[in-house]
Amino acid sequence: MEPLISMGVLALIGAAATIAGASEDLESDVGSQSNANSQVQLAPQMGYVHRIYNKAIAGEPVSNALMCTIGATGALVLIKHFGFSPLFALVIGSLIAAMVHGSYSVTAIMGREASQARFKQPIYLDLIRSHTPVIMAFAFLTTFSVMIVSYLMVYSLMHPFPFVLLCFLWGVVVGSVGSATGDVHLGAERQFQATEFGAGLNASQSGNIVRKGESGLRNGIDNLWFCSKFGGPMTGVSFGMVVFLGTWILVVFDPAEGNLEGWLSNILGLVIVIVLGIWNWHIEKETREKYGPYKEDKGEEVSA
Amino acid sequence: MIDIVGLIASNLIWILAIVIGGTLISISVHFIPVGGAPAAMAQATGIGTGTVMLAAGAGIAGIIAAGAVMAVNQDLWVVIGAAAVGAAVMLAATMIVATWIYAYGVGVMPVSAKVKYDPITKYRQDLYVSQGTEGHGIPTVAYVSATIGGLLGGLGAGLAYYALMKVSTLPVTNLNLVAVVSTFTIGFFFINSVIPSYNIVGTIEGFHDPKFKKWPKAAIASFLASIPLGILAVVAVGSLAAVGGL
Repeated sequence: MEPLISMGVLALIGAAATIAGASEDLESDVGSQSNANSQVQLAPQMGYVHRIYNKAIAGEPVSNALMCTIGATGALVLIKHFGFSPLFALVIGSLIAAMVHGSYSVTAIMGREASQARFKQPIYLDLIRSHTPVIMAFAFLTTFSVMIVSYLMVYSLMHPFPFVLLCFLWGVVVGSVGSATGDVHLGAERQFQATEFGAGLNASQSGNIVRKGESGLRNGIDNLWFCSKFGGPMTGVSFGMVVFLGTWILVVFDPAEGNLEGWLSNILGLVIVIVLGIWNWHIEKETREKYGPYKEDKGEEVSA
Repeated sequence: MIDIVGLIASNLIWILAIVIGGTLISISVHFIPVGGAPAAMAQATGIGTGTVMLAAGAGIAGIIAAGAVMAVNQDLWVVIGAAAVGAAVMLAATMIVATWIYAYGVGVMPVSAKVKYDPITKYRQDLYVSQGTEGHGIPTVAYVSATIGGLLGGLGAGLAYYALMKVSTLPVTNLNLVAVVSTFTIGFFFINSVIPSYNIVGTIEGFHDPKFKKWPKAAIASFLASIPLGILAVVAVGSLAAVGGL
């Protein structure tokens, strides 16, 4: 393919991946899933009954891989067997995935909250009614965006993997990225806003999540509102970077043109890793200087 | 009738490559700073997700890159290099964004609780660990360790993928072959990243963590587990052409 057209396709892929990352994280914030959900799950056991949606169908990578695979299978059947236009089929595929995800969400919260009856944790039916459509909407967005990424890679950039398999793989990666980045904003900041800003969660505070909202009791949609300001978009940037940079190095130096180009693309990838590493080190240095140590050096005091 | 013994005998070199790939994956997982659920609460140093899922996420990014390259260039070193770099880029992009969130969203600096001084930057660590936590964020030593882990893991996954593609006589762009081989490689990656998680038990910070010293046990276990897996995979993939590519 013409390099310029490849770049255009790549830009589209990057944009779709960014939306996929953001919606994946926000979906896990409103429904509470993955790592940060360990605190939601723990809270009633520590005596803190809450009104947070508690689904955690599975780990985010597996859950998203399932959603994307269901959507992609549905879409492919519609395209190949019923002759639907790809865009229409991808929308219907995503809708099927969102519905399946919604049903899993309801059974997950019912099961999880019912098992905590001994800790006096109620099952709020209004919570399920109000949150499940939001969860499904984000699941739809994630599935659709991941499918757009995979579809463009398979049919425009000629990636050799089958469409459904590529959706499965990107589903695992988007979950992996979302759970490693955006979850921190929910888990370490939003759930523990009552503790002082600028510290990790003290182990003795485990389970003591904030349960009161700006108005009334806090719920998953309140968490969504907060995380959509930073955690969600950042997850989008992260997944966008994973997809875009990983593909960009192969478009700039196309290994099809020879071994030299193949090596140059690998070297370019390594340069990106090193540059990001230097950035990481720079942030480490900057935060150490700005935030300062938490404890005093007793050894130095004694010697002074 | 498929000649299973003949298939194994003629592909011994590729079985060996798969076994080496499995062992590399197993070693690589020890390098990746996995913080698990506590890291999502800034309660432990490392990337905030589980061992297997993080390693698999990186390995899969590597396999996707290797697949794209293998279709157009069959040079062994270029393919496994692409897999290694693909996995390392995935981890790097995840870590830098996680650092933004730790630094600007949570307000903590990256710090390790396992060493008093960072072996690379020589920064003092213990004073910067907030109360009641086991460190937080991704300090430079953990970033470097993760990069080595990503490269090694990608290398292992790329090697297994390349070996299996070479076992079959079908063209490298045959959709069924690509599907079977990539699915197997992912399964293979999952198995070899589950084995080291018994050493890691939840969290590890990287090569400076005392748990890292346990890696030979997992490497031996993965080496042994990869032998039957390699044989099975070679027989399955090698027979594809005999059954008409499915």
